[in-house]
Order: sequence, then structure tokens, then C-alpha cells
Amino acid sequence: MDLQGNSQPELGKLEQIVSQFLLKSLHIILDSRVPSCHPHGCSQDLSSASRVRKSDKWFALVLGDHPAALDNLNFWHRNLMDPMIIDIIPVHEGSKSMGESVETVIERWVVQYEYPRKTYKKSIILLRALYSQMRLLPAYKIFRQLSRSSQTYNFDIIYKVPSFGDPFSRVDKEMMEEHSFNHLEAFPVRLCIFVAYRKTLTDFNLEPSTSLPPKIITDYVGSPNIDPLRSFPSSEKGVRAISFPLRGVRSPSPVPFQRPRSWTSGFHRVAFSAQNQPIVGSPPSYRPSALPYDYPSPPTDIYGLLVMMIISFHLHSLHLHPRLLRHTSPLVILCKHVYIHKLILNSRYLSPNSSDPSRSSLPPLSSRSRNIEPSSEESPYGTTIRDSKDDSGWFLRLLSSSCSPHIRFSRSSSRLSFQDDLDDNVFSSPFDVDDVDALDIQVSHNFDGKKASKFTSQSLPIVTKSQDVVVGVLVHMLRTAPPLRQDSCCYSSHSMKTELEEGVPTASGFFMPRKTANALEELRSFIEMKDLLLSKSGTRVVSKDDF
Amino acid sequence: MNCEVCQLKELEVEHFEIGEVLRCILHTIVFHRALGLVRPKDVDLELFEITYVQCGDVELEKKIDEKIEQFISWVEKHPNKKSQICLSFYEEKKNKQPSWFSNKIERIHWEQWYISLNVAQHTKAHSSKSHHSKLAFDPAESAVEERSVRRAALEASLREVMFQIIKFANEKKDHVPPIPNREGIVSFPYEITIPSSSDSAFGMDMIKRMLQSGHPTMLS
Repeated sequence: MDLQGNSQPELGKLEQIVSQFLLKSLHIILDSRVPSCHPHGCSQDLSSASRVRKSDKWFALVLGDHPAALDNLNFWHRNLMDPMIIDIIPVHEGSKSMGESVETVIERWVVQYEYPRKTYKKSIILLRALYSQMRLLPAYKIFRQLSRSSQTYNFDIIYKVPSFGDPFSRVDKEMMEEHSFNHLEAFPVRLCIFVAYRKTLTDFNLEPSTSLPPKIITDYVGSPNIDPLRSFPSSEKGVRAISFPLRGVRSPSPVPFQRPRSWTSGFHRVAFSAQNQPIVGSPPSYRPSALPYDYPSPPTDIYGLLVMMIISFHLHSLHLHPRLLRHTSPLVILCKHVYIHKLILNSRYLSPNSSDPSRSSLPPLSSRSRNIEPSSEESPYGTTIRDSKDDSGWFLRLLSSSCSPHIRFSRSSSRLSFQDDLDDNVFSSPFDVDDVDALDIQVSHNFDGKKASKFTSQSLPIVTKSQDVVVGVLVHMLRTAPPLRQDSCCYSSHSMKTELEEGVPTASGFFMPRKTANALEELRSFIEMKDLLLSKSGTRVVSKDDF
Repeated sequence: MNCEVCQLKELEVEHFEIGEVLRCILHTIVFHRALGLVRPKDVDLELFEITYVQCGDVELEKKIDEKIEQFISWVEKHPNKKSQICLSFYEEKKNKQPSWFSNKIERIHWEQWYISLNVAQHTKAHSSKSHHSKLAFDPAESAVEERSVRRAALEASLREVMFQIIKFANEKKDHVPPIPNREGIVSFPYEITIPSSSDSAFGMDMIKRMLQSGHPTMLS
């Protein structure tokens, strides 16, 4: 292109305008076609309160955060005067892994900007037209479908920016319509955006997907609402495997369960990591992917998971020491959730009756020895439940007016094992100190100093809501809480790696190495809890000095 | 300066569809002519599967909503009438030649968009006395079916109008004046003209506008 007559500064300015125009065009196109490039979903807040970046001011169009792909524009688009071609391609699930190379372009955008002069105003209007048009073409509908977070689909949309566009086949051409936005022919200016798009996308079989087909559970046991304490047969005594479903959007096929459960079909939005590790191993051992209980089909997905946890932890009722509440161990986190869920099931509204969380009358975790795999940095859910004084105080008040739950642990040297027996009578007292030596659960002693986990306030007022809403809140809490920090406490001599998939750790994150000193510490905390509880109930308290 | 005029395709709408249709069209036009710093806001129509873009200007939204309400009131008083709403952009210039109807500040319209609506009456489904009770549901069903057909046709027409706006706004740009140095997202002053109470008022408005644009020869 003949750029003679332009001084160097003008040339630099020219190039800047061109590159910004291409960037802006690409941003508009990717933002309304490729869900993965849309940073905040369709509801990105572009209100006036949000910061306006320098890049936003170009062409007077604020688009917000741009996809990372834009940073590489210079890499694959060296000559700014060459047309920029963007192909929009839907891909089906499984096609990537199978290496299928058949890709059908449903839209091809060609953006060419040549020698702009005195056309900045017109290019503003052109980009506005592009922005509007993006929302009127057929592909926008499937973009919106994919952007919705409530469902996963059997397809995704990717984009390609080839250096040259492969010509369409005759068949494809017949199915496509073309539209040229504008030819600014005021010499020497030429400004052009062109699109070829498929008129209809019905033949692409773009549907919501379910990762697990519905299965009939032949050994259906019953509803937990009827008898939550019912014991269930287990393949191995005292140990049950827990596979925690991991949230993975459009992830590969899940690890199959040994036995399908009625709620597994609901986990169509989560994927089981192929490297899912058992929460607890060896005798009694956990199977990596077995769901040991024929637990009755819960009304919701998370319900099933939580109920599973109830059985696994032999949870009759749960007493949690204030310190334990702030513990970041996955076991405690799950126990908290299970307890909350149990409270909801029992439809008990508990009024706060304690203002001092540290003086909660909750008993400590009762114990037998248990096997807990050493947890890694992350919990299975990639979350921590953060405790704050106020939050845990509320929680404790909630708990204190309820029955006294117990956690029972089976005896094992250094690992936590979960028994399948939910018999209440096994726990005569929450303060079974006999098995303390083998107690694996560690209670962190640095609750205040460290960045403790805390219940987010939105999880607290759930008692009065419907079960579904509560369950939804719990799921949200589990999914959105930040990952566990590396805790110095040890649960078990075994250490298992945590696998992260899209930011969600595996179930192996449950386990931490444990030392005897930690067990002793925990015992002391249990005794404190016991004292508090007994003092509240007026019973003679065994002073911790007795220990 | 010439004034570009765009006559949009006429739409047949029902009373309850007026608001959505007008809002969609008016905002789309302004989005292409608001050359201030715009934070685009995608809006999904409730009645149709169409997404249009607003500028994110609260004042503009208010003004458009007010005008739509006024128009709906007018339609209720003048049923079964074709009507036009005019969205025009203008420049303000000092009038060098004062005339009878014009004041010192003159409005030079450089672009006008005419939105033509044919507001249909509600079709009530009822059975006439001559029909048996078994046939009572047929008129209702056919009315529902007719409505859905009409709705689909209106959606297609509205989509056509949107494409028409984008095309016109993008192709006709030479007449767009320089961006004035004024605050606000909608960089150019604009006005939305709806039919007035009297039947001939709309025509009078047109005459007024012509006079204000400074064509003294009209008076002779």
C-alpha cells in the first residue's frame, strides 16, 4: 500500500488506529460468539461505575475485559493491512479427544482496514453496526445457550484466525449468506467488514448434554428423611469410599461408579476426575470410585452427597468444637455441611443462645481411630469454609440448641476410616477419649492468627428456607469457597496428591499427615468442648486439668 | 447540508407489543448515532427472540420510555390508525435569517428516521350464538393460532427492520456532522416526534419543522 506522503508519526498513529480497530473488532466478535472468551458471562457489568480503561475509549465503545487471545494479536497478525479472518466453529463433545478434524465454519468474519484517513468517526459507526449485527445472526442464539450456566451442552464454540480463509465448498456456500457491512470507497480509504454465515444451525445437533444416563438402582434402600440413621450393608467393614464429584464444565467422561445411584444422573454438570483418590484407604479401606451405600435417592444431587457423608462419617449428630469449626480440614468442612443439612432435614430452627462462640457447649468430636488420608493443599471441593467469630458463633448457637451430634471414627493407627454403622448406641458419650491416641483429626491451633476458614454469612440463614434452596446454597458454598490452605497439621502418615481439574481438587485432598502430638491437642480441645457443653447443661464438668 | 431520511418498513403490531417494538427500534437507531463513550447494554426482548443494544444512558432510556407512553396513550385514543414516530438528529445553529416561526437558534435536521406502525385491534375469541357449545373452542384456538402466526411474522419483520437500521446507519455516514463538543453519550441532539392529539397535528409538526429549518421560500 502506498503510504507515501505520510510522515513517520502519522504512520505510527495510523498503525495504532488500525491495530486498535482490529483488536476492537476481534473483541466484539469473540465476546458474542465464544463463551470461553467471555470473561464474565453475558451479564458483564459495564456500568458507569466500572473503571474505563484506555483501550475502552478507542472508538467510543466500552467492552470491558478482553479475552487473553487479544494479547496475541500481534503474533498471528503481523501485517495489519492484511485482512483478519475469524472463523466461528462449533465442536461437539468427544470430537476433540477423538481427533476429529471435521470442522464446519458457521460464520466467517473478514475485517480489513486499509489506510484510514479521516475515518475515525465512521469507524466508530462501523463498529457499532458490527456490535448490533453480532446479536442478530443465528450463531448468537447458540452462544447464549452456551453462556447460560445452568446447563452443559454437547458442543462448544471455538474460533480460528487463519492467515487465509479456506474457501467454502459449494455445499457450504449454498447454506451460507453473505453480508458486507460497508465499503468506504472514498479513496484512498477502504474500510470493510464482511461476514458469511449459515442461515440455519438446526443440523448441528446442538443440545444440552447429560454426562450420566439415568439408571435404575436395583438396590434402592429408602429415603433418608424416613430413617437417616439406618445402617447400610457395606462391602468392607468399617470403610467406605467416597468419591467426590468434581465440578468440571464440559469435562471428559466421568469415572463410572461401581454402583449407580439415583442422584448421579443429576451430576451432569460435574465430572469425576479419572485420578480421583479415595478419601480413606486401607483397612478398612476405601475404594476409589465406589459409593458404598445403597443410600436412598435424595431429592437433590448435593443431598445425596451429603447423606453419603453422613453415613461415611457415621454421623448421628455432630458436635463441633468452636476451634474445630474454624478448622480447614476437609473432614470438618464436610461435617459442618452435613450437620447443617441434617438440621435442615429435621426442620429445626435454632435460635441463637450463645453469644460467645468460644464458650460453645458443643462437645468435641468423639472418636475412634480413623484413617484420614493426608490432605494436600486443597480440599476435595477446592474450598475452605471460613469461620469468623460472628459466623461460627451463630453456627455454634445453632448447634448448641440441637441434639448433640457425634462423630464416630473407627480405630486405626494413623488414618481415618469411616464406619457404616449409624447406630446411635455406639456412642454413649461424645467424649470417648479411649481412642484419642489414634485420633487422626487435627484441630488447628492457630485459628485466630491464620487466615481461618469461616462460614460465609449467606450460608447461615438457610434454616428457614426450603430444602432445595438450602441444598443449593450448600452446593454454591462448596463450589465457590477458596481452596484450603496448606495446614501444618497432619491427619495421616499417607500423603496423597491432590489433582486439580479446573480449579477443583480431588477427593484426595481430604487427607493430611498426622502426628501424635496433634491428636493430643485435639483431645484437649474435645475436653474443653465437653466442659462447655456440660456447663451449659448444668452437668458436672470434668475440668481439663483432670486430663 | 442534506437531510438523510430513512423510512423503515411498516410493522403490524398489537397494542401490548408497541412498547417492546418501539424501544427496540429507537434504541438501536440511537446506538448507531451516539458517538460518545458508550457502554453497550444487551437487552433481550421478552416477546421476541431478539437482542438489541442500548447505549447505557439513563436519560436516553427515560426519554424514550416517556415518548412511548405518550404514543401508547395516543393510540388508545385513536385506534385502528396507522401512525408514525419520527426520530431525528439535528444540529443547532444560530439563525441568520429570522422568520415568523423560528427563533434565533435554528435546528438543522441532518437525519430522520420514520417508524411506521399499524396498531391492530385486539382480536377477542368468542363464540357466536349460532355455534354449538362443542364448537365454542374452535374460534379460541384459531385466534391463538392466528396470534402466534402474527407474532412470528412480526418477529421476522422486526428483525428485518433491525437489519435495515444497521445497514442504513452504516452506509450513510458522510452526512453525519462532526462530533460536537458536548457531554453525554448521545453526542448529537435528537428529538422524538409522536403524533399529537389532533389528527392533523402530525402534519403541522412537519410544517413547523420545515419552517424552523429555515426555508423562507416556503412562506412565499
